[in-house]
Amino acid sequence: MKPLIINETEDTPQINLKPDEGIFEISKSSLPENAVEFYKPIIFWLNEYLRSPNKKTTFDFSLDYLNTASSKQVFEIIMLINKISKVSDVLIRWHYDSIDEDMLGLGTRFSHLVKINFEFVEYENDDNFDF
Amino acid sequence: MELAFEFFNRIKDADFEYIYNGWFSSQISQKILALAETNVKESASKTSLKNRIYFVMVEGLQNITKHKDDSNINYSNNGMFAIQKNSEQYFITTGNVLKLEEAKVLKPKLEKINVLEKSQLKKLRNKILLDGKISDKGGAGLGLIEMARKSGKKLLFDFENIGHDNSFFYFRTEIPNAGAQKNVTAPSIQDDNQLGNIKKVHKRLKEENILINFNGRFNRNTILNLLSIIKGYINVSLTSRKVYAIMVEMLQNISKHTNNIDGMKKNRGIFYLRVTNNNFILTSGNYVKNKNISIIKKMIEKLNEMNKEQLFKHYDDVLLGLNPVSSEKTGLGFIDMRIKSGNKLNFLFNNIDSELSFFTLQAKVEIK
Repeated sequence: MKPLIINETEDTPQINLKPDEGIFEISKSSLPENAVEFYKPIIFWLNEYLRSPNKKTTFDFSLDYLNTASSKQVFEIIMLINKISKVSDVLIRWHYDSIDEDMLGLGTRFSHLVKINFEFVEYENDDNFDF
Repeated sequence: MELAFEFFNRIKDADFEYIYNGWFSSQISQKILALAETNVKESASKTSLKNRIYFVMVEGLQNITKHKDDSNINYSNNGMFAIQKNSEQYFITTGNVLKLEEAKVLKPKLEKINVLEKSQLKKLRNKILLDGKISDKGGAGLGLIEMARKSGKKLLFDFENIGHDNSFFYFRTEIPNAGAQKNVTAPSIQDDNQLGNIKKVHKRLKEENILINFNGRFNRNTILNLLSIIKGYINVSLTSRKVYAIMVEMLQNISKHTNNIDGMKKNRGIFYLRVTNNNFILTSGNYVKNKNISIIKKMIEKLNEMNKEQLFKHYDDVLLGLNPVSSEKTGLGFIDMRIKSGNKLNFLFNNIDSELSFFTLQAKVEIK
Protein backbone atom coordinates (compact mmCIF):
# COMPACT_ATOMS: atom_id res chain seq x y z
CA MET A 1 0.00 0.00 0.00
CA LYS A 2 1.18 3.50 -0.85
CA PRO A 3 2.42 5.53 2.11
CA LEU A 4 0.71 8.77 3.10
CA ILE A 5 3.02 11.58 4.11
CA ILE A 6 1.78 15.08 4.83
CA ASN A 7 4.33 17.61 5.97
CA GLU A 8 3.56 19.78 8.95
CA THR A 9 2.52 23.39 8.58
CA GLU A 10 2.07 26.08 11.18
CA ASP A 11 -1.36 24.71 12.08
CA THR A 12 -1.45 21.14 10.80
CA PRO A 13 0.47 18.11 12.05
CA GLN A 14 3.09 15.89 10.44
CA ILE A 15 1.55 12.72 9.10
CA ASN A 16 3.71 9.67 8.43
CA LEU A 17 1.80 6.58 7.42
CA LYS A 18 4.30 4.09 6.03
CA PRO A 19 3.00 0.54 6.47
CA ASP A 20 6.01 -1.03 4.70
CA GLU A 21 8.25 0.40 7.39
CA GLY A 22 5.73 -0.18 10.16
CA ILE A 23 5.44 3.56 10.81
CA PHE A 24 2.10 5.11 11.71
CA GLU A 25 2.62 8.51 13.20
CA ILE A 26 0.87 11.82 13.83
CA SER A 27 3.03 14.48 15.43
CA LYS A 28 3.47 18.22 16.14
CA SER A 29 0.54 20.62 16.48
CA SER A 30 -2.93 20.33 15.06
CA LEU A 31 -5.13 23.41 15.10
CA PRO A 32 -6.70 23.90 11.69
CA GLU A 33 -10.03 25.67 11.76
CA ASN A 34 -11.37 23.18 9.26
CA ALA A 35 -10.13 19.95 10.79
CA VAL A 36 -12.63 17.77 8.92
CA GLU A 37 -11.10 18.87 5.62
CA PHE A 38 -7.54 18.22 6.78
CA TYR A 39 -8.20 14.77 8.24
CA LYS A 40 -10.35 13.55 5.35
CA PRO A 41 -7.49 11.99 3.32
CA ILE A 42 -6.05 10.40 6.46
CA ILE A 43 -9.33 8.78 7.36
CA PHE A 44 -9.74 7.66 3.75
CA TRP A 45 -6.25 6.14 3.79
CA LEU A 46 -6.91 4.29 7.05
CA ASN A 47 -10.13 2.87 5.65
CA GLU A 48 -8.09 1.47 2.76
CA TYR A 49 -5.47 0.13 5.15
CA LEU A 50 -8.22 -1.60 7.14
CA ARG A 51 -8.80 -3.92 4.14
CA SER A 52 -5.37 -5.52 4.34
CA PRO A 53 -3.47 -4.35 7.39
CA ASN A 54 -0.06 -5.46 8.63
CA LYS A 55 0.03 -8.20 11.21
CA LYS A 56 1.05 -5.60 13.72
CA THR A 57 0.11 -1.89 13.78
CA THR A 58 1.72 0.46 16.28
CA PHE A 59 0.31 3.94 16.08
CA ASP A 60 2.23 6.87 17.57
CA PHE A 61 0.38 10.02 18.55
CA SER A 62 2.93 12.62 19.49
CA LEU A 63 1.00 15.85 19.58
CA ASP A 64 2.02 19.10 21.22
CA TYR A 65 -1.31 20.70 20.82
CA LEU A 66 -4.79 19.81 19.60
CA ASN A 67 -7.68 22.19 19.12
CA THR A 68 -11.14 20.77 19.78
CA ALA A 69 -11.95 20.43 16.09
CA SER A 70 -8.83 18.25 15.75
CA SER A 71 -9.61 16.23 18.90
CA LYS A 72 -12.83 15.16 17.28
CA GLN A 73 -10.98 14.02 14.14
CA VAL A 74 -8.23 12.31 16.11
CA PHE A 75 -10.94 10.43 17.96
CA GLU A 76 -12.42 9.41 14.58
CA ILE A 77 -8.99 8.00 13.74
CA ILE A 78 -8.85 6.13 17.04
CA MET A 79 -12.27 4.62 16.31
CA LEU A 80 -10.90 3.45 12.97
CA ILE A 81 -7.84 1.98 14.66
CA ASN A 82 -10.30 0.22 16.96
CA LYS A 83 -11.75 -1.42 13.85
CA ILE A 84 -8.26 -2.28 12.60
CA SER A 85 -7.55 -3.93 15.96
CA LYS A 86 -10.01 -6.69 15.02
CA VAL A 87 -7.73 -7.75 12.15
CA SER A 88 -4.31 -6.60 13.31
CA ASP A 89 -2.35 -6.58 16.54
CA VAL A 90 -2.75 -2.94 17.53
CA LEU A 91 -0.99 -0.69 20.01
CA ILE A 92 -1.43 3.05 20.44
CA ARG A 93 1.51 4.91 21.91
CA TRP A 94 0.29 8.24 23.26
CA HIS A 95 3.24 10.60 23.76
CA TYR A 96 2.87 13.63 25.98
CA ASP A 97 5.05 16.39 27.35
CA SER A 98 5.84 15.72 31.00
CA ILE A 99 4.17 18.97 32.15
CA ASP A 100 1.12 18.56 29.95
CA GLU A 101 -1.36 16.75 32.15
CA ASP A 102 -4.20 17.88 29.87
CA MET A 103 -2.71 15.96 26.91
CA LEU A 104 -2.24 12.90 29.13
CA GLY A 105 -5.81 13.30 30.37
CA LEU A 106 -7.18 13.48 26.83
CA GLY A 107 -5.33 10.30 25.83
CA THR A 108 -6.51 8.53 28.97
CA ARG A 109 -10.12 9.45 28.25
CA PHE A 110 -9.76 8.33 24.63
CA SER A 111 -8.35 5.00 25.86
CA HIS A 112 -11.44 4.40 28.00
CA LEU A 113 -13.76 4.85 25.03
CA VAL A 114 -12.23 2.10 22.89
CA LYS A 115 -10.86 -1.40 23.33
CA ILE A 116 -7.27 -0.90 22.24
CA ASN A 117 -4.00 -1.20 24.14
CA PHE A 118 -2.70 2.24 25.01
CA GLU A 119 0.80 2.95 26.16
CA PHE A 120 1.53 6.37 27.61
CA VAL A 121 4.97 7.73 26.88
CA GLU A 122 6.20 10.79 28.69
CA TYR A 123 8.81 12.99 27.05
CA GLU A 124 10.77 15.87 28.49
CA ASN A 125 9.85 19.28 27.27
CA ASP A 126 12.28 20.33 24.56
CA ASP A 127 11.55 23.46 22.62
CA ASN A 128 8.70 21.89 20.70
CA PHE A 129 6.26 24.16 22.33
CA ASP A 130 8.27 27.31 22.55
CA PHE A 131 6.11 29.60 24.60
CA MET B 1 -17.64 42.16 30.88
CA GLU B 2 -18.97 45.35 29.32
CA LEU B 3 -15.43 46.28 28.42
CA ALA B 4 -15.21 44.28 25.21
CA PHE B 5 -18.29 45.98 23.81
CA GLU B 6 -17.09 49.40 24.96
CA PHE B 7 -13.70 48.87 23.30
CA PHE B 8 -15.24 47.44 20.23
CA ASN B 9 -17.48 50.47 19.81
CA ARG B 10 -14.79 52.98 20.59
CA ILE B 11 -12.48 51.30 18.16
CA LYS B 12 -15.12 50.95 15.50
CA ASP B 13 -16.21 54.58 15.83
CA ALA B 14 -12.66 55.74 15.28
CA ASP B 15 -12.52 53.59 12.15
CA PHE B 16 -9.76 51.34 13.33
CA GLU B 17 -8.83 48.62 10.93
CA TYR B 18 -6.54 47.13 13.46
CA ILE B 19 -5.07 47.95 16.83
CA TYR B 20 -2.35 46.12 18.66
CA ASN B 21 -1.30 47.04 22.12
CA GLY B 22 1.24 45.08 24.02
CA TRP B 23 4.80 44.04 24.30
CA PHE B 24 7.17 44.73 21.42
CA SER B 25 10.28 42.94 20.20
CA SER B 26 11.69 42.64 16.69
CA GLN B 27 10.14 39.20 16.38
CA ILE B 28 6.76 40.41 17.57
CA SER B 29 7.02 43.39 15.20
CA GLN B 30 7.35 41.00 12.29
CA LYS B 31 4.16 39.25 13.32
CA ILE B 32 2.37 42.57 13.79
CA LEU B 33 3.50 43.60 10.35
CA ALA B 34 2.24 40.33 8.91
CA LEU B 35 -1.06 40.86 10.70
CA ALA B 36 -1.35 44.38 9.31
CA GLU B 37 -0.33 43.28 5.84
CA THR B 38 -3.22 40.87 5.65
CA ASN B 39 -5.59 43.65 6.53
CA VAL B 40 -4.12 46.14 4.07
CA LYS B 41 -3.94 43.57 1.28
CA GLU B 42 -7.66 43.07 1.57
CA SER B 43 -8.58 46.71 1.70
CA ALA B 44 -6.09 48.78 -0.32
CA SER B 45 -6.62 48.53 -4.02
CA LYS B 46 -3.54 49.99 -5.67
CA THR B 47 -0.02 48.58 -5.44
CA SER B 48 1.57 52.02 -5.08
CA LEU B 49 -0.70 52.73 -2.13
CA LYS B 50 0.02 49.37 -0.56
CA ASN B 51 3.74 49.96 -0.92
CA ARG B 52 3.52 53.35 0.75
CA ILE B 53 1.47 51.91 3.61
CA TYR B 54 3.91 49.06 3.98
CA PHE B 55 6.87 51.39 4.08
CA VAL B 56 5.35 53.56 6.78
CA MET B 57 4.38 50.50 8.83
CA VAL B 58 7.90 49.06 8.70
CA GLU B 59 9.50 52.38 9.65
CA GLY B 60 7.00 52.90 12.45
CA LEU B 61 7.50 49.43 13.89
CA GLN B 62 11.27 49.78 13.66
CA ASN B 63 11.04 53.03 15.56
CA ILE B 64 9.18 51.24 18.35
CA THR B 65 11.65 48.38 18.73
CA LYS B 66 14.69 50.61 18.24
CA HIS B 67 13.68 52.95 20.99
CA LYS B 68 12.17 50.40 23.31
CA ASP B 69 13.87 50.50 26.66
CA ASP B 70 14.83 46.86 27.17
CA SER B 71 16.20 47.50 30.64
CA ASN B 72 12.75 48.23 31.94
CA ILE B 73 10.24 45.72 30.67
CA ASN B 74 6.91 46.05 32.33
CA TYR B 75 3.39 46.15 31.04
CA SER B 76 3.01 49.92 31.27
CA ASN B 77 6.04 50.08 29.02
CA ASN B 78 4.29 48.46 26.11
CA GLY B 79 3.96 49.92 22.69
CA MET B 80 1.03 50.30 20.40
CA PHE B 81 0.39 50.10 16.71
CA ALA B 82 -2.80 51.02 14.93
CA ILE B 83 -4.17 51.43 11.43
CA GLN B 84 -7.20 53.57 10.83
CA LYS B 85 -8.84 53.94 7.50
CA ASN B 86 -11.63 55.88 5.95
CA SER B 87 -12.52 56.19 2.31
CA GLU B 88 -9.90 58.84 1.58
CA GLN B 89 -6.91 57.99 3.66
CA TYR B 90 -5.06 55.57 5.88
CA PHE B 91 -3.63 56.57 9.24
CA ILE B 92 -0.83 54.65 10.86
CA THR B 93 -0.18 55.41 14.50
CA THR B 94 2.59 54.08 16.66
CA GLY B 95 3.15 54.64 20.33
CA ASN B 96 6.15 53.87 22.47
CA VAL B 97 8.03 54.95 25.55
CA LEU B 98 10.95 57.31 25.11
CA LYS B 99 13.37 58.84 27.59
CA LEU B 100 12.57 62.53 28.14
CA GLU B 101 15.97 63.48 26.73
CA GLU B 102 15.29 61.49 23.56
CA ALA B 103 11.94 63.22 23.24
CA LYS B 104 13.72 66.57 23.49
CA VAL B 105 15.90 65.65 20.52
CA LEU B 106 13.07 64.19 18.50
CA LYS B 107 10.56 66.99 18.86
CA PRO B 108 12.47 69.71 16.98
CA LYS B 109 13.34 67.20 14.24
CA LEU B 110 9.66 66.47 13.69
CA GLU B 111 8.73 70.14 13.85
CA LYS B 112 11.35 70.93 11.27
CA ILE B 113 10.13 68.20 8.93
CA ASN B 114 6.57 69.47 9.25
CA VAL B 115 7.36 72.96 7.94
CA LEU B 116 9.29 71.72 4.91
CA GLU B 117 7.84 71.48 1.43
CA LYS B 118 8.20 68.38 -0.71
CA SER B 119 11.27 69.63 -2.55
CA GLN B 120 12.89 70.79 0.67
CA LEU B 121 12.35 67.36 2.23
CA LYS B 122 14.14 65.79 -0.69
CA LYS B 123 17.03 68.23 -0.31
CA LEU B 124 17.27 67.49 3.42
CA ARG B 125 17.29 63.77 2.76
CA ASN B 126 20.12 64.08 0.24
CA LYS B 127 22.08 66.27 2.59
CA ILE B 128 21.83 63.71 5.42
CA LEU B 129 22.79 60.91 3.06
CA LEU B 130 25.88 62.84 1.94
CA ASP B 131 26.90 64.03 5.41
CA GLY B 132 26.31 60.59 6.84
CA LYS B 133 25.52 61.83 10.32
CA ILE B 134 23.95 59.01 12.29
CA SER B 135 22.54 59.28 15.79
CA ASP B 136 23.53 56.79 18.48
CA LYS B 137 20.24 54.94 18.01
CA GLY B 138 21.24 54.33 14.43
CA GLY B 139 18.82 56.83 12.98
CA ALA B 140 19.62 60.01 11.14
CA GLY B 141 16.02 61.11 11.05
CA LEU B 142 15.98 59.65 7.55
CA GLY B 143 13.12 57.33 8.44
CA LEU B 144 11.03 60.26 9.60
CA ILE B 145 11.81 62.25 6.47
CA GLU B 146 10.91 59.33 4.23
CA MET B 147 7.68 58.82 6.14
CA ALA B 148 6.82 62.48 5.63
CA ARG B 149 7.63 62.15 1.92
CA LYS B 150 5.47 59.06 1.46
CA SER B 151 2.68 60.79 3.30
CA GLY B 152 2.79 64.21 1.72
CA LYS B 153 0.92 65.44 4.80
CA LYS B 154 1.95 66.81 8.16
CA LEU B 155 3.12 64.25 10.68
CA LEU B 156 1.03 64.30 13.81
CA PHE B 157 2.70 63.61 17.12
CA ASP B 158 2.44 64.10 20.83
CA PHE B 159 4.59 63.42 23.85
CA GLU B 160 2.89 62.54 27.09
CA ASN B 161 4.89 62.69 30.25
CA ILE B 162 4.49 59.38 32.04
CA GLY B 163 6.91 60.01 34.90
CA HIS B 164 10.27 58.44 35.76
CA ASP B 165 11.94 60.63 33.13
CA ASN B 166 9.92 58.89 30.47
CA SER B 167 7.56 60.14 27.87
CA PHE B 168 5.03 58.29 25.73
CA PHE B 169 5.44 59.19 22.10
CA TYR B 170 2.35 59.04 19.87
CA PHE B 171 3.09 59.35 16.19
CA ARG B 172 0.64 59.36 13.33
CA THR B 173 1.30 59.31 9.60
CA GLU B 174 -1.47 60.00 7.16
CA ILE B 175 -1.43 58.33 3.76
CA PRO B 176 -3.88 59.77 1.28
CA ASN B 177 -5.64 57.36 -1.02
CA ALA B 178 -5.39 59.57 -4.08
CA GLY B 179 -7.81 57.73 -6.37
CA ALA B 180 -10.56 57.39 -3.79
CA GLN B 181 -13.95 58.96 -4.19
CA LYS B 182 -14.73 61.80 -1.85
CA ASN B 183 -17.20 60.62 0.68
CA VAL B 184 -18.74 63.36 2.75
CA THR B 185 -20.28 61.06 5.30
CA ALA B 186 -16.99 59.36 6.15
CA PRO B 187 -15.92 59.89 9.75
CA SER B 188 -13.20 62.49 9.95
CA ILE B 189 -10.23 60.91 11.58
CA GLN B 190 -8.25 63.89 10.31
CA ASP B 191 -10.32 66.11 12.62
CA ASP B 192 -8.84 64.20 15.54
CA ASN B 193 -5.92 66.60 15.58
CA GLN B 194 -4.94 65.94 19.14
CA LEU B 195 -4.90 62.17 18.72
CA GLY B 196 -7.64 62.17 21.35
CA ASN B 197 -9.42 59.01 20.24
CA ILE B 198 -6.36 56.90 20.01
CA LYS B 199 -5.09 58.17 23.36
CA LYS B 200 -8.38 57.33 25.03
CA VAL B 201 -8.36 53.78 23.69
CA HIS B 202 -4.73 53.35 24.64
CA LYS B 203 -5.32 54.69 28.15
CA ARG B 204 -8.15 52.24 28.75
CA LEU B 205 -6.04 49.33 27.51
CA LYS B 206 -3.33 50.27 29.99
CA GLU B 207 -5.75 50.80 32.88
CA GLU B 208 -7.14 47.32 32.42
CA ASN B 209 -3.72 45.66 32.40
CA ILE B 210 -4.28 44.34 28.94
CA LEU B 211 -1.30 42.41 27.69
CA ILE B 212 -2.48 42.13 24.16
CA ASN B 213 -5.47 43.44 22.32
CA PHE B 214 -6.41 42.84 18.76
CA ASN B 215 -9.33 44.28 16.93
CA GLY B 216 -9.98 43.56 13.32
CA ARG B 217 -10.74 40.77 10.91
CA PHE B 218 -10.10 37.27 12.14
CA ASN B 219 -8.94 34.64 9.68
CA ARG B 220 -6.31 31.90 9.58
CA ASN B 221 -3.44 34.36 9.10
CA THR B 222 -4.50 36.73 11.86
CA ILE B 223 -5.04 33.82 14.23
CA LEU B 224 -1.65 32.24 13.58
CA ASN B 225 0.11 35.57 13.93
CA LEU B 226 -1.70 36.35 17.18
CA LEU B 227 -0.87 32.93 18.55
CA SER B 228 2.81 33.31 17.79
CA ILE B 229 2.78 36.74 19.44
CA ILE B 230 1.26 35.26 22.56
CA LYS B 231 3.84 32.50 22.57
CA GLY B 232 6.44 35.18 23.15
CA TYR B 233 4.68 36.33 26.28
CA ILE B 234 4.10 33.43 28.55
CA ASN B 235 6.45 30.89 30.00
CA VAL B 236 6.34 27.17 29.50
CA SER B 237 3.86 25.93 32.04
CA LEU B 238 0.60 24.12 32.21
CA THR B 239 -1.10 27.47 32.83
CA SER B 240 0.24 28.91 29.55
CA ARG B 241 -0.89 25.82 27.70
CA LYS B 242 -4.39 26.29 29.06
CA VAL B 243 -4.36 29.98 28.11
CA TYR B 244 -3.13 29.08 24.64
CA ALA B 245 -5.78 26.39 24.21
CA ILE B 246 -8.62 28.70 25.24
CA MET B 247 -7.23 31.41 23.00
CA VAL B 248 -7.25 29.11 19.97
CA GLU B 249 -10.87 28.17 20.57
CA MET B 250 -11.91 31.79 21.13
CA LEU B 251 -10.12 33.11 18.04
CA GLN B 252 -11.50 30.34 15.84
CA ASN B 253 -14.97 30.97 17.24
CA ILE B 254 -14.72 34.62 16.25
CA SER B 255 -13.55 33.67 12.79
CA LYS B 256 -16.26 31.05 12.36
CA HIS B 257 -19.08 33.23 13.64
CA THR B 258 -18.16 36.36 11.75
CA ASN B 259 -17.35 34.75 8.42
CA ASN B 260 -20.97 34.27 7.53
CA ILE B 261 -22.05 37.73 8.59
CA ASP B 262 -22.15 40.24 5.76
CA GLY B 263 -22.13 43.96 5.80
CA MET B 264 -19.92 46.81 6.81
CA LYS B 265 -17.52 45.91 9.57
CA LYS B 266 -19.68 43.13 10.89
CA ASN B 267 -16.96 40.60 10.19
CA ARG B 268 -14.75 42.12 12.84
CA GLY B 269 -14.09 40.91 16.30
CA ILE B 270 -12.05 41.72 19.34
CA PHE B 271 -9.79 39.62 21.50
CA TYR B 272 -7.82 40.66 24.54
CA LEU B 273 -5.79 39.03 27.24
CA ARG B 274 -5.57 40.57 30.68
CA VAL B 275 -3.35 39.58 33.52
CA THR B 276 -4.09 40.22 37.18
CA ASN B 277 -2.12 39.03 40.19
CA ASN B 278 -3.78 35.65 40.21
CA ASN B 279 -5.41 35.15 36.84
CA PHE B 280 -5.16 35.34 33.12
CA ILE B 281 -8.46 36.60 31.75
CA LEU B 282 -9.28 35.97 28.11
CA THR B 283 -12.07 37.86 26.41
CA SER B 284 -13.49 37.60 22.92
CA GLY B 285 -16.20 39.68 21.33
CA ASN B 286 -17.98 39.36 18.02
CA TYR B 287 -21.33 39.74 16.32
CA VAL B 288 -23.68 36.78 16.36
CA LYS B 289 -27.05 36.31 14.77
CA ASN B 290 -29.92 36.81 17.21
CA LYS B 291 -31.42 33.48 16.25
CA ASN B 292 -28.31 31.73 17.63
CA ILE B 293 -28.36 33.45 21.02
CA SER B 294 -30.63 31.05 22.85
CA ILE B 295 -28.66 27.98 21.82
CA ILE B 296 -25.33 29.55 22.85
CA LYS B 297 -26.80 30.74 26.13
CA LYS B 298 -28.29 27.37 26.96
CA MET B 299 -25.08 25.59 26.11
CA ILE B 300 -22.86 27.77 28.33
CA GLU B 301 -25.32 27.85 31.21
CA LYS B 302 -25.51 24.08 31.16
CA LEU B 303 -21.70 23.79 31.19
CA ASN B 304 -21.41 26.29 34.03
CA GLU B 305 -23.60 24.06 36.20
CA MET B 306 -21.42 21.01 35.68
CA ASN B 307 -18.60 19.75 37.84
CA LYS B 308 -15.35 18.39 36.44
CA GLU B 309 -16.50 14.77 36.11
CA GLN B 310 -19.74 15.81 34.43
CA LEU B 311 -17.79 18.01 32.02
CA PHE B 312 -15.49 15.16 31.00
CA LYS B 313 -18.45 12.85 30.62
CA HIS B 314 -20.20 15.44 28.46
CA TYR B 315 -17.05 15.88 26.35
CA ASP B 316 -16.89 12.12 25.75
CA ASP B 317 -20.58 11.97 24.88
CA VAL B 318 -20.08 14.66 22.25
CA LEU B 319 -17.06 12.78 20.85
CA LEU B 320 -19.14 9.63 20.61
CA GLY B 321 -21.86 11.60 18.86
CA LEU B 322 -24.33 10.95 21.68
CA ASN B 323 -25.02 14.55 22.45
CA PRO B 324 -24.63 16.84 19.48
CA VAL B 325 -25.90 20.40 19.78
CA SER B 326 -26.75 20.48 16.11
CA SER B 327 -25.50 18.80 12.98
CA GLU B 328 -22.60 21.17 12.38
CA LYS B 329 -21.93 22.46 15.89
CA THR B 330 -20.47 20.05 18.38
CA GLY B 331 -20.12 22.51 21.23
CA LEU B 332 -16.77 20.87 21.97
CA GLY B 333 -15.03 24.25 21.99
CA PHE B 334 -17.11 25.62 24.86
CA ILE B 335 -16.71 22.38 26.85
CA ASP B 336 -12.95 22.46 26.41
CA MET B 337 -12.74 26.14 27.40
CA ARG B 338 -14.81 25.43 30.48
CA ILE B 339 -12.57 22.45 31.42
CA LYS B 340 -9.29 24.26 30.76
CA SER B 341 -10.46 27.35 32.61
CA GLY B 342 -11.59 25.44 35.69
CA ASN B 343 -14.01 28.30 36.26
CA LYS B 344 -17.40 29.35 35.00
CA LEU B 345 -17.46 31.05 31.62
CA ASN B 346 -18.85 34.57 31.66
CA PHE B 347 -20.87 35.83 28.76
CA LEU B 348 -22.93 38.78 27.66
CA PHE B 349 -25.11 39.69 24.69
CA ASN B 350 -25.57 43.33 23.67
CA ASN B 351 -28.37 43.76 21.22
CA ILE B 352 -27.41 45.64 18.06
CA ASP B 353 -30.49 45.40 15.86
CA SER B 354 -33.20 42.97 14.85
CA GLU B 355 -30.68 40.62 13.28
CA LEU B 356 -27.47 40.88 15.28
CA SER B 357 -26.11 41.05 18.80
CA PHE B 358 -22.62 41.50 20.17
CA PHE B 359 -21.46 38.41 22.05
CA THR B 360 -18.78 38.73 24.73
CA LEU B 361 -17.21 35.59 26.15
CA GLN B 362 -14.77 35.55 29.03
CA ALA B 363 -12.68 32.75 30.54
CA LYS B 364 -10.38 32.90 33.53
CA VAL B 365 -7.30 30.76 34.14
CA GLU B 366 -5.74 30.83 37.58
CA ILE B 367 -1.99 31.34 37.62
CA LYS B 368 -0.47 28.43 39.49
